[in-house]
This record gives sequence, C-alpha cells and structure tokens, in this order.
Amino acid sequence: MENIADKDLSAEQSLQLITSMIQSTRQSLQDSSIYFLIWGWGVLLACVIQYSLKVGMNSPYHPMAWLVLVVVFVAQILIGFKRMKKRSARTFVEDANIYLWTAVGLGYFISFLIFGQIGWDYCFSFYILFYGIGTYVSGKLIQFKPLFIGGLLCFPIAVATVYVSYDMRIIMLGVAILISYIIPGHLLRMNHQKQIRGNV
Amino acid sequence: MFKDLDPILHSQLRLAVISLLISVKEAEFTFLKDKTNATAGNLSVQINKLKDAGYIEVQKKFKDNYPQTICRITQAGVKAFEKYVQDLQAYLGVK
Repeated sequence: MENIADKDLSAEQSLQLITSMIQSTRQSLQDSSIYFLIWGWGVLLACVIQYSLKVGMNSPYHPMAWLVLVVVFVAQILIGFKRMKKRSARTFVEDANIYLWTAVGLGYFISFLIFGQIGWDYCFSFYILFYGIGTYVSGKLIQFKPLFIGGLLCFPIAVATVYVSYDMRIIMLGVAILISYIIPGHLLRMNHQKQIRGNV
Repeated sequence: MFKDLDPILHSQLRLAVISLLISVKEAEFTFLKDKTNATAGNLSVQINKLKDAGYIEVQKKFKDNYPQTICRITQAGVKAFEKYVQDLQAYLGVK
C-alpha cells in the first residue's frame, strides 16, 4: 500500500481509507488451518491404527493407538506459543477462538477422566460431539462455511454412533474428523494462500 | 463542507490508525507501521495526537528485551470514530 501521508481527504477518500484499513486487518488474521490439520490427521491416524490393531490383528492393545495424540497435543501447544509470540495484533475473533478451544480442550481432558471411570464404550460419541461444537462455533467466528457445516454434520454422526458396534464407531470417528477438521482445514489453508497471492 | 468533521480524525494517517484499531483488540506499533507504510517518526507523532485526544491508549512494555508499544482504541475513540463515519455518510447521502 502507498505511504499514508498527512494530506487533505475528500469524503469519498476517507470512506475508502476506512474500508481498506478494516479489510487489511481481516486479511492479516493468522491462518489457523495448521491446528485443524495437525489434530485432524493425528486423530485419523489413531483411528486407522486402532482399527487395524483391533479388527485386523485382534490385539488387546488397540487403545494404545491414541497415544499418538500426546505427540500431536504437544506439537499444537508449541506451535500455538510460537505463533502467539510472533503476532503483532490481537483481534477479538482470535481471542474468542482461543477461549473456545481452551474450553473444548479442557472438555476432552475432563471427559478422559470421566471415561476412565465409567468405561470407554461410548467415548467416541462424545468426542464427535466436541468436534461438532468446536468447529461449528469456530466456523461461525471466522465466517468459514466448510468449517461450520462440517461441525453441524458431526451432531447426527454423534447420535448415530450410539446405534452401531464399537468397531463401526472407530470408522465413524474417522469420518467425523475428516469432514469437520481435515477437509475444512485444507480448504481454509487454500483460502488463506489465495488471499496472500491476491495481496501480492 | 467538512467544518463539522472531527479534525483529529480527519487526517489521513490518524484515520488509518483509528480504522485499524477499531477492528482489533490491540496492535503493536510495528503492525500499524506495516499497514500504513508510514515512517516511524510520523506515526509516532500521530499516535501521540490520538492519545492526547483520549481516542487511544498506549502501553509501553518489553518483549524479549525489546521495547514494545501497544495501542488500543478507547471508548471515546470508538464513539468519535462512529460519529465521524455517520457525519461522512450524511455528507455523502449514504444510509
């Protein structure tokens, strides 16, 4: 953008300036797709490993597949801190997203403790519900349709998981993470890269 | 024709700064400098004018041992900006 000097403005120029500044702030919103992609692919990988261990190899250690998420979680936190240190402006939307995902993250953790006590049979139904809540609200906050549609689709999937076998629930969790995190995450990334190219 | 417009906001750089700050919670000096392409000296002067008018608040702190200036729009700044936009729209006949 050209250098803004202290010169007289017409009414039209003033409105144009206001619009362009507000738009440039919107465009500088950080690309959050990395978080959806890391978590999404991590969960999908865990689903594939667990299904292979349980159904393919009949191994009793199939729940160990979820240890993959410990690495994913640490990676998410590290990336989050690094990006937070780098950002030069804070928007209300970014802050709202941070509060939302902190609450969802705490929800995962608390439910982990609860399922540890009551059994893991229906844990995927609740995790799909969490995916739905998180991605629906996040999608609305950043006004990104694929994300909130993916979130909405998680709700009927969560209900359906109650009526199928545990093995089928693993597959449904994989489908839910694909439509709520992975596909919207890739679309979000493409969208952001398109915006950057448009600005050059 | 612009005699009723707020003279503090009716300046290109100050209006740009306020327009940026209206859409964020807070912004660093470097962010404002990047977005406006203004020189550090000029931007500093205009930020001080906005601060003196009570439209923004400026916080100075250190980040990784480097000085950091953070700017935030105040309630008075939001009101002044809204009135400025309304006055402009009235002049242009925009609803």
